[in-house]
Parts: sequence; C-alpha cells; structure tokens
Amino acid sequence: MLRLTLAQMRRSIGRLAAAGIAIMIGAAFVAATLLSGEVLTRTTYDAAASQYGDADLVITQATLADSDLAALAAVDGVQAVQPLDTGGADLTGPGGHAWVTVAGRADDPRLDAVSATDGSLPAADDEIALPERVADQLGVGIGDQVQSTVQSWAADATQPTDHLSTLRVVGLVDAPSAFLSDGGVAVVTKSVAHDWLALSWGGQDVTYWSASVTLAPGTSTADATTRISQLLDGTGTLVRTRDEQAAANAAELSGSTWALTGVVLGFAAVALLVASLVIANTFQVLVAQRTRTLALLRCVGAERRQLQRGVLIEATLLGLATSAAGVLLGIGLVQATLTVLGDTTDVPLPSTITMTPAVVLVPLLVGTLVTVLASLAPARAATRVAPLAALRPADTSVHQRSGRVRAWLAGVLVVVGAGGLALGMAVATAMSMPLGLVVGMLGGTLSFVGVMVGAVFWVPGLLARLGRLGGRSAAARLAAANAVRNPRRVATTSGALFIGVTLVAMMSTGAASVTRTFTSELNSHYPVDVVLESVAMDSDGNPALPSDLVDEVSAVDGVAASAVVQQAVGLTVTGPDGDQTSVDVYAGDATALAGVLNDADQAAALGDGTILLGESDAASLGVGVGDRVPVTGPDGVLDLEVTATDSAMAMVTTSTLAGLDHGAPASDLWLALAPGADPTSAVTDIQDITGAETDVVVQVIGLAVERAFFQRVVDTLLAVVVGLLGVAVVIAMVGVTNTLSLSVLERRRESATLRAIGMTRAQLRSSLAIEGLLVALVGTLVGALLGIVYGWIGAQILLSEVTSVALAVPWRDLGLVLLVAVAAGLLASVLPARSATRTPPVEALASE
Amino acid sequence: MTHITQTPPTSAIRARGLTKVYGSGEAAVHALRGVDVDVATGAFTAIMGPSGSGKSTLLHLLAGLDGATAGGVWLGETELTALGDTALTRLRRDRVGFVFQQFNLLPMFTAEQNITLPLEIAGRPLDRAWFDTLVSTLGLGDRLDHRPSELSGGQQQRVAIARALVTRPDVVFADEPTGNLDSRAGAQVLSFLRTSVRELGRTIVMVTHDPSAAAYADRVLLLADGLIAGDIADPTPESVLAGLDALRALDEVH
Ligand SMILES: Nc1ncnc2c1ncn2[C@@H]1O[C@H](COP(=O)(O)OP(=O)(O)OP(=O)(O)O)[C@@H](O)[C@H]1O
Ligand SMILES: [Mg+2]
Repeated sequence: MLRLTLAQMRRSIGRLAAAGIAIMIGAAFVAATLLSGEVLTRTTYDAAASQYGDADLVITQATLADSDLAALAAVDGVQAVQPLDTGGADLTGPGGHAWVTVAGRADDPRLDAVSATDGSLPAADDEIALPERVADQLGVGIGDQVQSTVQSWAADATQPTDHLSTLRVVGLVDAPSAFLSDGGVAVVTKSVAHDWLALSWGGQDVTYWSASVTLAPGTSTADATTRISQLLDGTGTLVRTRDEQAAANAAELSGSTWALTGVVLGFAAVALLVASLVIANTFQVLVAQRTRTLALLRCVGAERRQLQRGVLIEATLLGLATSAAGVLLGIGLVQATLTVLGDTTDVPLPSTITMTPAVVLVPLLVGTLVTVLASLAPARAATRVAPLAALRPADTSVHQRSGRVRAWLAGVLVVVGAGGLALGMAVATAMSMPLGLVVGMLGGTLSFVGVMVGAVFWVPGLLARLGRLGGRSAAARLAAANAVRNPRRVATTSGALFIGVTLVAMMSTGAASVTRTFTSELNSHYPVDVVLESVAMDSDGNPALPSDLVDEVSAVDGVAASAVVQQAVGLTVTGPDGDQTSVDVYAGDATALAGVLNDADQAAALGDGTILLGESDAASLGVGVGDRVPVTGPDGVLDLEVTATDSAMAMVTTSTLAGLDHGAPASDLWLALAPGADPTSAVTDIQDITGAETDVVVQVIGLAVERAFFQRVVDTLLAVVVGLLGVAVVIAMVGVTNTLSLSVLERRRESATLRAIGMTRAQLRSSLAIEGLLVALVGTLVGALLGIVYGWIGAQILLSEVTSVALAVPWRDLGLVLLVAVAAGLLASVLPARSATRTPPVEALASE
Repeated sequence: MTHITQTPPTSAIRARGLTKVYGSGEAAVHALRGVDVDVATGAFTAIMGPSGSGKSTLLHLLAGLDGATAGGVWLGETELTALGDTALTRLRRDRVGFVFQQFNLLPMFTAEQNITLPLEIAGRPLDRAWFDTLVSTLGLGDRLDHRPSELSGGQQQRVAIARALVTRPDVVFADEPTGNLDSRAGAQVLSFLRTSVRELGRTIVMVTHDPSAAAYADRVLLLADGLIAGDIADPTPESVLAGLDALRALDEVH
C-alpha cells in the first residue's frame, strides 16, 4: 500500500508541490516569527548586559556619594567599584561639534563598558577615547586634539558658565548597544569624569544611582552580596549579579517583545488557516481525480481503511516535506535580513541567528498537523468510493446537495454574530469599551465563521450573477458555468481568499476611521498647522512680529498660506445670565484666516459681527451657537453673534476687533503647510529664521509635526499588519491557481472537444482568464465588503468615548486589494490555460 | 481503383498521398502510408478495417484535427494541410461537424445549451427553424432542459449529432458513433445520419467496426495497414463481411 501511495504521489507531484507552496509559506512564517522573537530578546538582553562590563555584582536604586563608593571598595572581597551614571560634554573638532555621553575609566579593566578598537583607553587627564562615529563627525583621528565644553549652572545664575579644556584623542572605542541612543560613549580618566559630572551638578555633591562591582578571586558572590547589602542597609537598594540585573532589564523590555511575537504568531495562524483550506481543496480534487483508481483498488479487495490511510500518509509526507522547506525558507529569510541590516544599520543585531529546537520543531509540527487535518475530509471521501465507480464512465462534475444542517448553522451563526456586534456597540457606548470590544469580537468571529460555513451557498450564486456581468460571449458563459460546477470546491477556494481580504479590509478601514476621527478632533483642537507667536517678557502683552520676519517665514519651502493675527488680551465677554469671562481674542482678515484654518466649518463661521468661542468659555458662559453676547474691550462694547463653540481659541475678524481694541498688536503668524510638505523640515526652517531674530522672542508651535507623527505611527503599524495579513492573501492566491490548474486537468477532454468543435485557443484562454477572475473577485469583493463593515464597527467600539466617530472607507487600499485580486486571478489562469490550449483536439476523440 | 487527377465539382473531400508517422526512428509507427481518398458531396461514407489499421488517424487528418506528415487534404477548395491553427479552428467551427464515440457533451450545460454551443463559440445567431427541425427529427423535444447526466446514451449521442449539424456544416465526421450504444439506439442514430444525407443534403464520413452499421452508408472504404484496401459501393452487411474476410485472408498471406 505504501508503494502504491508513493507511486501515486509521484504521478501527482506537480499538483502536490503547488499545494505544498501554501504550507511552505505558512511554516516559513511561523519559523521566521519565532526566530525574530529570539533575535529581539537576545538583542535586548545583550543591550541590557553590555553596560555592566564583566561586573560580578550590580547595585541599583542607590544614592551613593563618593564616600559610599570608597566604603564599598573597602568591603571584604570587593576588588573594584565603578559608578554607572554618565555625564556629558560638548566636543569640538575641525570637522564640527558633537554632544557625547562620557564615562570614566574603571579601576578594574573588567568594569570598563567599552574597549578600544584602535589605540588605547585614556591613562592621563588630558586624554580621551572617542566612539568611531563621533571621531568621524569631529573630523579627528588618534593623536588629534579636541576641545571639550562642559556647562555648569551656578545656583542663581541666568546664564551657564562654560568650562573648556583641550584633550588628545588616544583611542577609538566600539559603541555598545546600551549607549546607542547617545551615539556611543566617550571615555576619559576617572577623575576627569568625576569633575565633569560634578560641574553639571552645579557644585552640589554628586551621588550615583547605580554602580558595578568586581569581586576578588575566590570570594563567594552570596557572601559579598550580603556584606554590601548590610553596608547600604535600609535605602531600598538592590544588589544583584550581573546576569540577574541584565535579565531584569531585559524583562522590562522583552515583555513587550514576546507580546509582539504573540501577535505576529496570530497572523501566522491566519496564514496557516488559509493554507489548510488550500490543502483541503487540493486533496479533494486529487481524490476526485483518482476515483477510478481508488474504485479499482476496492474492486481488487482494498479495504476502506487502507484507502484512507493512503491519503493520510500522502498528506503526512507532503506536510513534512513542505514544512521542512518552509523552516529552511524562514531561517534563510531571517538570516538574510540580519545580514542586510548588519551592513546598513547601527542597531547592534546579532550577525547570525540562534537556532532553538522550537524554531525547527514548532513549524514542522504545526505545518504537518495542518496538512493532515486538512486532508481528513478528503480521506473520508476516498473511503466512500464504491467499487462500482470503476465501471462507470468518469464524470467529474459534482452536483452535491449541501446539507440543510449546514444552511441552518450558517444562518444561525450569522444572525447571532450580527446580534453580538450590535450588542458590542451598545455596551461600548452605554457601559464600558473593553467589555463592548470583547462582545463585539465574539460577535464578529461568530458571524465570520457563519459566512464561511455558508460559502457553499453564496459563492456559486454570486459567481453566476457576476458571470452574467461578464458578457454573453461563449468564453464568458463557459467560464461562469465552469466556475460554479463544483460548489464546494469553489467555495473553499474563494473562502480562503475571503479570509485574507476581510482581515486586510477590516484593518485598513478601522485604521482609516480612527485616523479620520482623530483628524477631525485635531482640526478643532489644533486649528492651524504652524503658529508663530512673539513671547512677551512682561505682562504688557506680546509685541508685534517684525514684518520682514513675516515675509521670510511666508517664503519658506512648504508654507502654503499665512495669516497675520492680532491678539487682544483680556477682553470681557458677558453671558446671558450676567456671568463674565476674560478671554484672549485672536483676530485676522477673514479671507486670510480661511486660508490657514484646517476646519472649514470654523472658517465659514468667521465674519464681521460674529465671534467664535472655545468650548470651555462657551460652557462657563452658558451660550450656544446663535446667541448674541456683549464683548467689552478698551475701545468699546460690541454685541457679537456666537457662530461656533468648539474653536480652540476665541476668534473675530480684524474689523470687528477694531471696534473693541484697535491697538492690539499683530503678534501671531498662522501658517498652513502645503499638502504633502514635510512638516518637520518646514518647521525646522522656520525655527532657523526665528532663531536669528534679535528684536523679539518668537515661539514656534509646530502642530503639524505632532499630527504628522501621529499619522506616521498609524500608517507604519497599518503597513506592518497589512503586510503580515498579505501573506494569507498570497497563499490564497496560490490556492486559486492550484484549484484552477487541477480543474483544467480534469477538463482535458472537454477542452479538446471545444477545440474540435471550433473554439480558438484565444477563446479558450480568455474563458479560463474570466474563470480565474470570477473566482478571485467573488472572494475579494465579499471580503472587502465584510471587512469594511467589521472595520467600521470595530472603530465605533474602540472610539466609543469620542463624541462622533467619522467612518472612512480606505478606497485607495481597497482598490489596491481589488487590483491585486484581478491581477492574481488573471495570472492564476496563465499556467492552466497553457496546458489547456496545448491539448490537441484529437484527444476529444481518444477513448480514454 | 482509378485516380482522378481533376477534382470533380461534386467532391467534398479530397486527400492525396496522405501519410502519418507517429514518433521517429526505431519507435516510428506508420499509421497511414500514402492514402488517396475522394468523398462525394451528399454521400454517406463508412470507413472500416482491422484495429490499428489507421481509421481514426485518417478521420482526424480529413477533419483537420491533426496535421499530416506528408500529403494534402482539401475540403472543397480549401487546402487544410496549408492552414495555421486559428484558420483550421475557424474552418472546423464553420464547415465541419463532429460526432464522438464518447459523446463528449459538456456536463454543466443542458441539452439545448450543448446543441447551440458551436453557434455561441462562433458568435452566430441561432436559426430557430433549423434547430426545431433537428430537435424534432432527433426526437429530443422533451429532453432539451436535461443535463447529459440525466440522458441515456442514445439520447446523448442524438444531442451530439444535433450539435454537429446545427451549424449546417459541409461535412460531418463520426468516429464509431454507435460504439457505446445498444443495437436499437445505434439503429436510430444511423438512420438519422442517413436521413440527414438523403433529406438535408449533408456529407458524412463515419468510422465503424460494425458491418450492419456500415450497411447504412452509400459506400464503404476498407483500410488495412495504413493503405486503402477496398471500396464497396452500395454495401450490404453481407458484402461488407465478405470484404473484411478478404482483408483477413490477405493478412494471413503476409
Ligand atoms: N498518438 C499516437 N502516437 C503513436 N502512435 C499512434 C498514435 N495514435 C495512433 N497511433 C498508432 O497508429 C496506428 C493507427 O492508429 P488508429 O488509431 O488510426 O487505428 P484505428 O484503425 O482507429 O484502430 P481502432 O479500430 O482500434 O480504433 C496504430 O498502430 C496506433 O498504435
Ligand atoms: Mg480508432
């Protein structure tokens, strides 16, 4: 029997390999995720450990004065003590200047956190060793001189005092990861380091938060720990071994690392689920194609169990082989990534991966298990083949009736699931968001499973309808008829795609809605992109901005519009009940303001005789939109109509302000950035201009930078999530190709007949292209639609605390998904079409 | 057998020096070794011969389903052996009909859809009157909405014949059309084929093993070892059997 299984596998090797790709990708995904998790954990551990050098013990959460350090060094068994707190200095060289973290030499070389890669570590007080990158920046090498500047602040000084010294570079040091964010650590002698730190403490006595300790050879670590703890008794100080301390540091960081790995493994599970559908389909087709062979075996006396075992053995072998290939692929990918990153970034990643048994075994087991599980149903189908089937002419078209139970199950799941979603939304608004989220997720999962279970019913129906849109040509009609021939098969194929697309669409819709909601929130909180405001040094009110500054700033690259704004400080607004509030009112030309305000509603609300009020002012006065309020200024009283109560600040037009406080200085400049302009560089340019200003002090508030940052975080997260889910979509596409090729193989005789009765190659090819397109489109369209609904509901629940959720459809992303589906559907038909059109028409006449 | 060098206007199909070799070198099989055939328009011709004698091969070449190794085939004025794949496909679509031993109906289409399929492929409108004639002559009126799996073998073959005739082809080729049918269903099919020649003016070439089936034809061509070995006009089952016996006797001499 095993011999027969192997022979059959060899015959279908191409088809099995195609299905195996799905499992391979899934297993590679799992292996790569586990490996990356290991790499991340190791990187954080190394980073945490490196700063301690080869210390035996690490003291943290201490308050160690110099005397304490001396006392520690005198403890029995302690060889050396090195404080771990670092100071900093500004260094200047011929090439420029740089700020570096500075550490002192340790008494015991084992405690030096860095080692010299070139030259040596400083031995005299006029020597310094620099990180290579800093040396490059300063334009110096070994033997060159650099100037250091350390600032100290005297107790009541308004200006810092600079302390200069000249040092000779004696060595270059590597940059251990712990100091990475500072660009590495420069090393000076112990006394220089102490002096500089003392300067920056402004004359107070320096105390250290942490220190590392080496022990004399032969000293028991436990005893030394006890003695040190006794010495530092009662201050909440922790004494740990280096490894304990590194593990504790790493744990703080890697809690999130493993959480991240868990999430990514979730995506891998989705990919594997999709792969299992592809496998199930492939085996179903294989069993259907082998009906005759299987029946013949039954005729000559094979038992049902033997046939079933044959299919399962086949699945196990396939699962093992492709999972192993997947593990190799995953390992290769991560190693390649490490190699590339090692060359291009300064992040101290390990140069090679660390293999653990889990990295190999988990994907291998999971991949094989998924394959075998997926083949269970087809294996059962194999046992149902009656011996008589060998005698009947092969009829590959299946007209199974799908069970009533299945229909009921699907219907109930969808209805209950939809109810859960609605309940989730209600709970989130009325009670608590987390509870609503749980209920909503449950509802979403149930309804999704329902839709999947019911795929056998809706996929063929939808295909037929879509097919009718494809036109009345013979190719299109043939495609539509072929696509729905085997409802179960096409339902699984489309279903696999449907899972991936739904999740992608859900994520991007949710993210788009969240972004849109926050954008409208931001619009009312931060009405303009950039604000320049002259800052008053006393209480007389802010001075006007110089007009040449206004011109210069308006000319900056990326600035699209500007409005000069007057600021009237402390006008009095009286509410209907006589309540009075002092309000700072901003005023500008209505047209100019309309050009810079982000919220179009606010711009429209601005006109002569009106006032826009902030939320809190409006609330304390008890006024609403449409009310009229008297506003009192130094130059008069005006009755103004309130046209907005959600503005970030009180606003009127210039001519309105003229009647209240015509002398208010034009102290603000509001800017709008061009769409697509980089806010960070624009704001930096503006800061360069204002920094050069000597007459007034100008504060630049880059609201756009904040918003861009927020946007970038959301975009990056979304890209990562969509990328990971994209793997599932790719696997599903492999499934579409595979199913289509298998179907085409089954239809060899039909293809030949069609060619014999006059169908051209081009017609046959386009028929298959349409078929591929239909199958791909059904899964994609329904998936996108359902994804939008889930995304919306999800956003609604997550943002239930926000007043109004703005629902958005990410048309661009969905369009992209659709485009990919169309392309993949067409692509999926290329190979099958080649084999179909190559079938000579003579084969239609051949008897078997 | 006389060779006609000038094609008479009544000749629907003409083949000259038709040769077909499968494979090459040691393994080469000479299925046809220079066959000359003329089939008159409006004739019902049967091809017979022992298994492996090259009957199916000859039919494929005459119908433009396969290319010849040497020699030429003319359908009316058109030389098939000079056409490319697309032109050949068009010609099959517009001027040739096929009836297969295995029926070869498309399982997902109804009988009616199967019959009209060639017109759809060609993008030609359906001639309702002709369709009705075919359906009623073949007795398929109440079976049009059925799928092939719901039809008997004889009914399926009649659907296949309707499909072959719906485009009003110049020639209909049939390879053992009664091979999968019982004698009663076979007789129905054969008498319809003869009717379509007599009353509808079609030209039919049929391969068969059955002498009584061959007796429905106007003429029987005997094929042996890739060569024409006999030509019986107005055959009866007896004369066909006698011809086949003569062939066998010839074989035994070799
Ligand atoms: N595709 C092919 N490749 C190789 N040899 C072939 C091929 N088709 C036919 N032959 C060979 O050509 C010869 C003629 O075959 P053909 O099918 O024409 O015979 P036939 O007269 O139709 O026989 P039967 O009555 O059994 O159908 C045979 O020897 C056969 O083995
Ligand atoms: Mg034959």
